Amino acid sequence: MRSGIRLATIAYATLIYGFIFLPVATLVLFSFQATLFPVPPFSGPSLRWYQAVLSDARLTSALANSLFVAVISSAVATLIGFHAAWGFARFWIPASAILRGLITLPLTVSYLIIGMGLLVLFNGLGLPKSLIAAGIGHVVINLPLCFAILYSQMGEHQANIERAARDLGAKEWQVLLLVTAPMLWPALFASFFLSMTFSWDEFVISFLLTRFDTTLPVEIWNLLRSGLNPKTNAIGSLVFLVSIAFVLLFELALFRKPRS
Amino acid sequence: MTEKARGSVANGALPWMVVSPAVLWTLAFFAAPFIAMAVVSLTLHEGGGFSFANYQQFFSNPSYYQALVNSLEVTGIVTVVSILLAYPFAWILAEQIPERWQRLALILAVLPFWTSYVVRSYSWLLVLAEKGVVNNTLVQLGIIAEPIQLANTRFATVTGFVHFFVMLLTLTIFANLKQLSPSYRKAAADLGAGPLRTFLHIILPLTFPGIMVGAFLTFVLAIGDYITPQILGGNNELLMPQLIMLQIGRRGDFPLASALSILLMAVVTVAYIACARWLKIERA
Amino acid sequence: MKTLSWFRLGLRKLALSATALIGLALSPALAEDLNALVWCDHSDPNFLKPFEDATGIKVNVKEFEGTGAGLAILDQSQPGEWDVMVIDSIDVRRGVEKGLFEPLPEDKLPLGDLYPQVKLDQFTKIDGKRYGITEKFGYNTIGFNKSKVDPNDMQTLQSLVSDKYKGRIAIYDYYLPVMGMAALAAGKKTAELTEADLPAIKEVLLKMKANAKLVGEVTASQTALATGEVDILVGGGEWVTAGLSKENPALDFSIPKEGGILWSQSLAMLSASQKKDAALKFIQYVLSPEGQARLSTSSCYWGMPANQKAALSDEQKKVLRFDEQPDFLARAQLYPAPDEKLDKQMQDVWTEMLQAQ
Repeated sequence: MRSGIRLATIAYATLIYGFIFLPVATLVLFSFQATLFPVPPFSGPSLRWYQAVLSDARLTSALANSLFVAVISSAVATLIGFHAAWGFARFWIPASAILRGLITLPLTVSYLIIGMGLLVLFNGLGLPKSLIAAGIGHVVINLPLCFAILYSQMGEHQANIERAARDLGAKEWQVLLLVTAPMLWPALFASFFLSMTFSWDEFVISFLLTRFDTTLPVEIWNLLRSGLNPKTNAIGSLVFLVSIAFVLLFELALFRKPRS
Repeated sequence: MTEKARGSVANGALPWMVVSPAVLWTLAFFAAPFIAMAVVSLTLHEGGGFSFANYQQFFSNPSYYQALVNSLEVTGIVTVVSILLAYPFAWILAEQIPERWQRLALILAVLPFWTSYVVRSYSWLLVLAEKGVVNNTLVQLGIIAEPIQLANTRFATVTGFVHFFVMLLTLTIFANLKQLSPSYRKAAADLGAGPLRTFLHIILPLTFPGIMVGAFLTFVLAIGDYITPQILGGNNELLMPQLIMLQIGRRGDFPLASALSILLMAVVTVAYIACARWLKIERA
Repeated sequence: MKTLSWFRLGLRKLALSATALIGLALSPALAEDLNALVWCDHSDPNFLKPFEDATGIKVNVKEFEGTGAGLAILDQSQPGEWDVMVIDSIDVRRGVEKGLFEPLPEDKLPLGDLYPQVKLDQFTKIDGKRYGITEKFGYNTIGFNKSKVDPNDMQTLQSLVSDKYKGRIAIYDYYLPVMGMAALAAGKKTAELTEADLPAIKEVLLKMKANAKLVGEVTASQTALATGEVDILVGGGEWVTAGLSKENPALDFSIPKEGGILWSQSLAMLSASQKKDAALKFIQYVLSPEGQARLSTSSCYWGMPANQKAALSDEQKKVLRFDEQPDFLARAQLYPAPDEKLDKQMQDVWTEMLQAQ
């Protein structure tokens, strides 16, 4: 009976892992397709699509734009989320519960609606579409996350050490910068990292709010709409590889046990 | 109540200084756009003043409210299927796999989602195509004689969604399972309950919060998603996000698109209230 | 510990300088840039490069599909943001009515070299001034795989609504030409459509949808036909089959006895453009024999060049069926050109068709 359950367990887990990996495996396999269409039969490994991707200026600049928007918007979200979390945790602020609820509200709203709202607003104000507009949208979606993570990490422990620092004569900005921030660095890192993840792959807001200079997901969408070929597979595989590298970085930075 | 720092007079301004960037940002770029959208939804694309016509159009045109019905149906199916598939998987990861391999197993499960979302949806289209991997395998295994239409259907849309949300729900249920104190199980065992009874009456109810959070996220994210139904559905039916994008893309009809967006938001808000109520009841 | 705080300080500085740089980048575009709103066939680097190399002007393209989408983008943009637009010849008047387009200098364009049937002066000239010039044309008709279907069946639109090809059809997702085809199937003329004709058109559409596997835009339709997912594309034509002829020579198109729908793209110059000289240079390039040849065989979709002197090879002319063009042109009708009200009603019918099972 026991071994039966064990077998069922292994079978089920394998099935689910298989399901999860199926599209990615197909993606990577057919990125090496020699002929035009990324469907079976597989016609011998060829690097022509990787070459096409790397020499496609629009794709490479879209990649750079994606990174740019992701880094800046994540930094902004983490920064103001951190300050807000600290402010609400340490001080008495009137209507605190309502304001905190307001900041976390965007979590329950679809990206499409957030993007649409910004589009309507910017249109009405005569502001042009741009990477900055998309970046603003990305901060809107990531700020609640950063705030929630950092607020939940602000505890008595840090408050005590901050008090000690103040007693020793540190000014407020010094307390923040030299005491609180370093103590919370895992949460800061997690906020930044999660924000980067959501921003990097975000489609709808970027689609609605950019014009020529656009992010990678939008450029891939354009690519799909103007000529089907395994170039899409190639860029997908490349993104996958870059992401694995990121994850490894994250792992090493966060989970490596310090030797002291 | 924890003692909040008061100290010098300068503190009077400081709290507001640190808190206001986030508050102002949310007000300017979340609340204001929402209000703008609400106002615009009461105007008409053709001009003219205040009018409920956009909302009327939604409720009176079957093709329009059908989109909401479709969205609710698809999202419902996706949520249920994802929970059913994810729970055993989360259980296996949390209970059957040795502790030191658990993080690796989780990372492996999340890794494929590190490809671009657009590309992943498109890959599903190729996997489910008539000449794609799934059909080829089924035919070769003799399960079917002719390839069947899998791509460009509601089935494809659901598959694309389930693929992502199984991962999401696995994470939330896994987190919940790990949090459970082993004393519950010991107590149940001491009282003579077998593994099945322990699971049904103790573990499962205790993991409801994890399921509910995951289910709610699934609902919100799926119902507002444009890419998966657009790429995988083949326009064989329209879901709400597609209907909204149609108004913007084809006609630049912002008023109608805004009205549809607000309706979508209303549905999600109802779901949120229901969830929050339920979680409160559970906690009490 | 200190390193992290310096890191965050550095990040702040980076953010500030980046913002400054962005501000700089957003300052009015330099004269070497041209912003074009186009159909996807204008993005082909093979097409743009000769122009960019010869003049030093960089062409920024934004793609759209369908006049409605293009005008929607203009609506959402600031004046002066765009310089050139590709628009269906039949819709040029919509842009003129909104005051968007600039008259073109006829003496600087090779009007005499165009196919007379696609000059379409009745649409591109308004009040004696020319606002658009046709650059490319083709047909929305029946595209099919001749090894999978009976070519004789493809000589009539009635095959599309019969049960014979159930599940083997894809419909091109552009309401104007496909509803035009439905009108032809119902025995109506596209130039004379009114609200009263919609029920008949809807009936044809719903029957087609019942037979259809998917409704897709340019790429989805091309892929479906090319990979064998479907065997017939309603609204397909040389624009689907010609570019893929190398990969799959079984792809062909026909103009059935009821007729086909002629699509014709024009170039227009935006009146608010700050770079009218560059825009004119671009338009002249597109209409030159070389530009025409490259546009005609562009990677997104092929089509007939408007300029008869296009520098195409004999093989390319054969694929495009150059010698059959006079016959095709005689049997093709133009896109429906509805007013706002009828347009909305047509789009509603289309939405209904999409939702139908």
